[in-house]
Amino acid sequence: MNVNDTMNETKSSVNGTNSLMPSAHEEVFREQLILGNPTLHEITEKIASIPTLTPNLKFLVTLFVFASMALWGLFCMGYTIATGIGVWGLNNPVGWGWDITNFVFWIGIGHAGTLISAILFLFRQKWRTAINRSAEAMTLFAVLCALIFPLLHTGRPWLAFYWLTPYPNQMQMWVNFRSPLVWDVFAVSTYGTVSLLFWYIGLVPDLATMRNYVKSKFASKIYTAFSLGWTGSVRHWHTYEVAYMILAGISTPLVLSVHTVVSMDFATSVLPGWHTTIFPPYFVAGAIFSGFAMVMTLLVIAREVVDLKSFITLKHLDNMNKIILATGMMVGYAYAMEFFMAWYSGNPYESSVFINRATGDYAWAYWTMVSCNVISPQIYWFKKMRRSIPVMFVMSIFVNIGMWFERFTIISTSLHHDYLPASWGYYSPTWVEISIFTGTIGIFFTLFLIFAKFVPMIAIAEIKSVLPGSQPKHHDNH
Amino acid sequence: MSNSTFSSKKRFWKTSEEFLLSPNELQNEQQEFSADYDKPPVFESAVSRRTFMALLSATMAVGAAACRRPDHKLVPTVKAVEYRTPGIPNYYTTVYQNRNAAFGLLVKTVEGRPIKLDGNDRHPISMGVSSSRIQATLLSLYDPDRVLRRPRLHGGDSSVTNGIITISDAIKSAIADGKTVRILIDEHCSPSYTALINEIELKIPSLKFVTVPATISDGTASANNSILGIDSEIVPDLSKADVIVSVDADLLGTDKNSVYHIRNFSAKRKPTKKNPVMNMLFTVEAMMSLTGANSDHRIIVQPSEYEQILSAILKEVIASKGSSSVGANVASAVSSATHPSASKIAEMLTKAGDKGIVVAGAHLSTKANAIALCINLVLGSVGTGKVLDIAHTLPNSNRKTPAIENLRSELKSKSVGVLIFADTNTEYFGDRDMKSLVSGVPKRISLSQYEDETCSICSVIMPTTHFLESWGDAVGFEGTYSIQQPIIAPLNESSISIQDALIQISKALNPELFTTAATYFDYIRTRLQSILPNQKEWDNSLQDGIVKNASIPQVGSLNVNQAGAAELVSKASKATMSKTIGHIALSLTVNNGDLANNGWLQELPDPITKVTWGNIAAVSAKTAGEWGVKQGDVIRISTNNGSIEVPTFIQDGMADGVVSITTGYGRTQGGTILKNVGANVYKLLGLGESLGYIEITVEKTGKHEIIATTQGHNSIEGRDIVRDVTLAEFVSDNHEHEHHLISNDLSIVDDYTYKGHRWGMTIDMSACVGCSACTTACQVENNIPSVGKQEVINGREMHWIRLDRYYSKDDKGNVETLFQPMLCQHCENAPCENVCPVAATTHSPEGLNEMTYNRCVGTRYCLNNCPYKVRRFNFLNWHKNDKTPLDLVFNPDVTVRMRGIMEKCTFCVQRINEGKFHAKDHGRARVLDGEIITACQQACPAGAIIFGDMNDKTSKVYLSKNTEDRKFRVLEELNVRPSITYHGKVRNKAEKA
Repeated sequence: MNVNDTMNETKSSVNGTNSLMPSAHEEVFREQLILGNPTLHEITEKIASIPTLTPNLKFLVTLFVFASMALWGLFCMGYTIATGIGVWGLNNPVGWGWDITNFVFWIGIGHAGTLISAILFLFRQKWRTAINRSAEAMTLFAVLCALIFPLLHTGRPWLAFYWLTPYPNQMQMWVNFRSPLVWDVFAVSTYGTVSLLFWYIGLVPDLATMRNYVKSKFASKIYTAFSLGWTGSVRHWHTYEVAYMILAGISTPLVLSVHTVVSMDFATSVLPGWHTTIFPPYFVAGAIFSGFAMVMTLLVIAREVVDLKSFITLKHLDNMNKIILATGMMVGYAYAMEFFMAWYSGNPYESSVFINRATGDYAWAYWTMVSCNVISPQIYWFKKMRRSIPVMFVMSIFVNIGMWFERFTIISTSLHHDYLPASWGYYSPTWVEISIFTGTIGIFFTLFLIFAKFVPMIAIAEIKSVLPGSQPKHHDNH
Repeated sequence: MSNSTFSSKKRFWKTSEEFLLSPNELQNEQQEFSADYDKPPVFESAVSRRTFMALLSATMAVGAAACRRPDHKLVPTVKAVEYRTPGIPNYYTTVYQNRNAAFGLLVKTVEGRPIKLDGNDRHPISMGVSSSRIQATLLSLYDPDRVLRRPRLHGGDSSVTNGIITISDAIKSAIADGKTVRILIDEHCSPSYTALINEIELKIPSLKFVTVPATISDGTASANNSILGIDSEIVPDLSKADVIVSVDADLLGTDKNSVYHIRNFSAKRKPTKKNPVMNMLFTVEAMMSLTGANSDHRIIVQPSEYEQILSAILKEVIASKGSSSVGANVASAVSSATHPSASKIAEMLTKAGDKGIVVAGAHLSTKANAIALCINLVLGSVGTGKVLDIAHTLPNSNRKTPAIENLRSELKSKSVGVLIFADTNTEYFGDRDMKSLVSGVPKRISLSQYEDETCSICSVIMPTTHFLESWGDAVGFEGTYSIQQPIIAPLNESSISIQDALIQISKALNPELFTTAATYFDYIRTRLQSILPNQKEWDNSLQDGIVKNASIPQVGSLNVNQAGAAELVSKASKATMSKTIGHIALSLTVNNGDLANNGWLQELPDPITKVTWGNIAAVSAKTAGEWGVKQGDVIRISTNNGSIEVPTFIQDGMADGVVSITTGYGRTQGGTILKNVGANVYKLLGLGESLGYIEITVEKTGKHEIIATTQGHNSIEGRDIVRDVTLAEFVSDNHEHEHHLISNDLSIVDDYTYKGHRWGMTIDMSACVGCSACTTACQVENNIPSVGKQEVINGREMHWIRLDRYYSKDDKGNVETLFQPMLCQHCENAPCENVCPVAATTHSPEGLNEMTYNRCVGTRYCLNNCPYKVRRFNFLNWHKNDKTPLDLVFNPDVTVRMRGIMEKCTFCVQRINEGKFHAKDHGRARVLDGEIITACQQACPAGAIIFGDMNDKTSKVYLSKNTEDRKFRVLEELNVRPSITYHGKVRNKAEKA
């Protein structure tokens, strides 16, 4: 038993009874969040051992596949920068295509992480502890994938990477603060920074656990450096919890602000199909929707592959599916409302864009989106479906496909047929764009696999606090 | 402190010797040079060193002069010249010949290189405006495929001199063998060239010239010859006509004088409420031409109906005007003709009287042209000063077919020993028979600008010069004589002008020839000696671009041969053609193929079909349905002469069963750009056969091709973005055109006040005929790249002005066409400006929407947010493959854009700044109206574009914007407040037509 375990146990014994039996006051009507009544030491052993295991063939093959996708994607990014945006399928009416679709898609994915870490934390949703670590990691990697596109999609990325930030310079040129793209830079960079800090702060106690747990001296040194001298003293715990609370507070508005700002890229334009006031709430709902679907995809795989079934229970998954159902209906409402407004406004350009979405050249994309996002989640009204692993795995993939097509539909159908019929065109991606997108999928999963290999996938310290009896009781003396 | 303090009389010395010198000696000592330093040094000989050097060089000069002709070289400036300031352009006049149509040019040059061609405003045919083709010929000057080629000779160096010797030796030996020499030339309108040819033919009897143009249209000249005794085409003056009936005559499109016609036609297409006067254009045609697209009434007929409808019109016109001018025999010949559309046309023509005119296509039969001429004669519109002025004859437009048939028989008899192709590419446009006959000639020589198809069958090849590199002259149809002066020394050092080559060759053959003229320049100068006796007058003629006192040939009075007219009119029509008829028309862009290597023209969308880079088989939707072919399906079209494969293009307004294909494509040799572009339609024609309608058979190939079109959507979708009314509606309605001008007080903040200039533009859609001259003029002025066929298919063409073409149907279901030039609207509330994250596109204090290329990072957000989609993104480095000397064509006042940045119309900001500097230099605070003109405005033959200062209450643009009754702004409801005001289209419909 290592120091941290002791400290955690001390913490629980300070807070409550030593009994690991469920208390009559709580948990009796609720499903248990950890199955099998493990001891604190068993929890540590179970989770901390995962990074120390020698990777098996399955892991290595998976890593190889995703790393290859990532490398091929990186090559295509280099090819794009070296040759020009012309290697993509973009053209004159359609200035954005897969690039910004992917950007919004990945940013949306990230939202679940922040929501789980911050909002559910503030609302004391205890079931979050099993999934928040991987959700946060996912957020981070998704933001990283998302950040590739705003830079890569520019014609001259070697200038864009610093000209889009306000800095005093000899040209006396500032960014254009009226441009939603500049708001994007602020929103996404803030989001990325806060997400990183949040994830890292939450990780410190567990890194200390790993420092003590690992046998390799080299690994121990690295974990030592990153655990920032964590000893598990009460003072450390106190500071940690305050910091965590503050970061949760900072992150909470970000859940709403980031996708609101991203949606303003479209909502503030004059383009029919983009110029819509419903976009901010619609985008936030969509982001949470897609983020939960992606967390679901990852967790279903993780709990199968590394046997975390006792920590990530069907109750967790059930709760997440409820959120997917709720947010799926929100986006469904938004889709319907867009059509209503197109008709109600009496604006011929607006209505023609929406008729074109449902019946035009990109109708296949629109109906893919509707089937995946609105129709298919309706099966979650049934508890049996919410708790079926194969169903939820397929559904999570569906939702991800649907949400990707949502962004594609918004961007491409609005651009390819806008005001003057003479300028209309059609857009389809080239192999380079497709490779870059699959490349980001590769980067995302490669990073996630590396994360799973080196960092505890579940917050050890936090999950112990949801063990039955670990919570403070009203009859305790403080 | 005064100088006197130091000018003391005190004496100083350095040495005692110096102290002892006398004052005189002292003065010598103190001088730097000896007293006699400037006198020549004395040698033993009486000749000084300087004299010796002078004598020596004189001897060398004499020696050099003895062995070669005196040089008349144009030297590009390598050192600064007194009157030439770097950066300040110089302008020179010259003349362009579109085959036999002369067109006066004003050439802008910077540091010795021509960078822009525009119409010469002192030349009565061009009047300062121009066409796409004229603008684009500049690119051919710098074409590497033209400039970087070398002669192919038998041994010796690749010099011009050696080339001339090789050619004249070949001719000498052929003549010695008793064979003849034939030189194939293209059509031209140069009096000196004609004189030169006559002189050579006279002195060298076995050498003859044959005019072999790529396309021949003899119908009009033939009818004029029989009836009026004038063996050439007469060019109508549309500005004098009130009712114009075009029977398959594409006056505004493929006509050689289309610029002249557009200007005259559009002058009467700008009605106002106070003066609602317009001309009326009827078009009778089987295919969709640019003239048809601009007509008020378009009657679609089968090609076999042309003579019938003309006869019916003639019958009705005679019925109301009498037959005295053409004779009773003509009247009786047409007495039984009927056509459902004829009476309305005849009624309007009769009403117009001598201001009515019928123009039949020159490619139509002699009979059709004769009937058209008879109608004009009956109406009284033929004669001096009338619409059809008999003095306005197109030079050398007489019949060419007999000469070609004669050449065929000569070639068959094997009497021709040497065949010289002087810029005639018969291997491309000739028929099978002609090609095999040509291959039987023992010696074939090419004098051509490009290493074309014909060069591949020639053993001797000499490169020739571009018209901007050589001397010449030209006479316009109305008699204006212009000198073609070279603007730059030949870029290809091994090239020579055809005329210079002819002079030198004939000199070698017959020393009696051209004893006084060493060069073609001397020849022209001598010919003009009587008119321009001294240098001053010569200089003035060059400066004006026209020779003022050149004699205009006298024309006789109108003399109608009524018997000849009756004979032609009563001639039996050709037997009805088969069900499927091919219509062969000149390309509106690459012409007959001579400009096929020009990227600007290849990429210029055809005004009607909007197709670039290649030709298509335009058919009606019904016909395509019958054949079971869709857009892009390749069909094989065959005649007795050969067959070609072309993709199908479904075109509105075509007669059923008619397939329209354009010339100029399918070149195989002569450059890098022209290869693999389209199909060679000349394979279907016999050489000497008229363009126009031929019987064809069509079969499916099962292949499919993507057509590179710049506009995929033809309908306007009922959107309120254009105004299109009839003249009657326009006159009667008082509110319809104003309801849309929304007030400017929608904003919660105060508007910006433009204190100085405020630039704006108006575009008259009623005057615009869609010719696309503005597109090319803009491309030349602003260094806009061509992107190639694949990138056009990808939707990345770069033109800053596109001519949006929309179709609509009138109440009878006839297709009507509408052109809307669309360029950056320089919106006051520009949606592009507030979305740019790096502030690369901003608003100037003079109302311009400016692009800062250096600042642009290429997010394309501005493009997405532009409601007009007029921004153009550099998706790739389009200039990567610009080979020297192609880079010399760039306008130095305009940045060449790299990849990854956005560009768009700037309202020619470089011209605005130049105008402002000019005003400042002259002590004026503001520029005068008309001082600054944009490139598009300058080129527009219709005068549809007006640019200027909207803050100047007297400017043309202000008046046009604020007093014009037809004004509207596109997408005004978005409150982007465009700076361009459009004037709606008005169609002059005959009531109950």
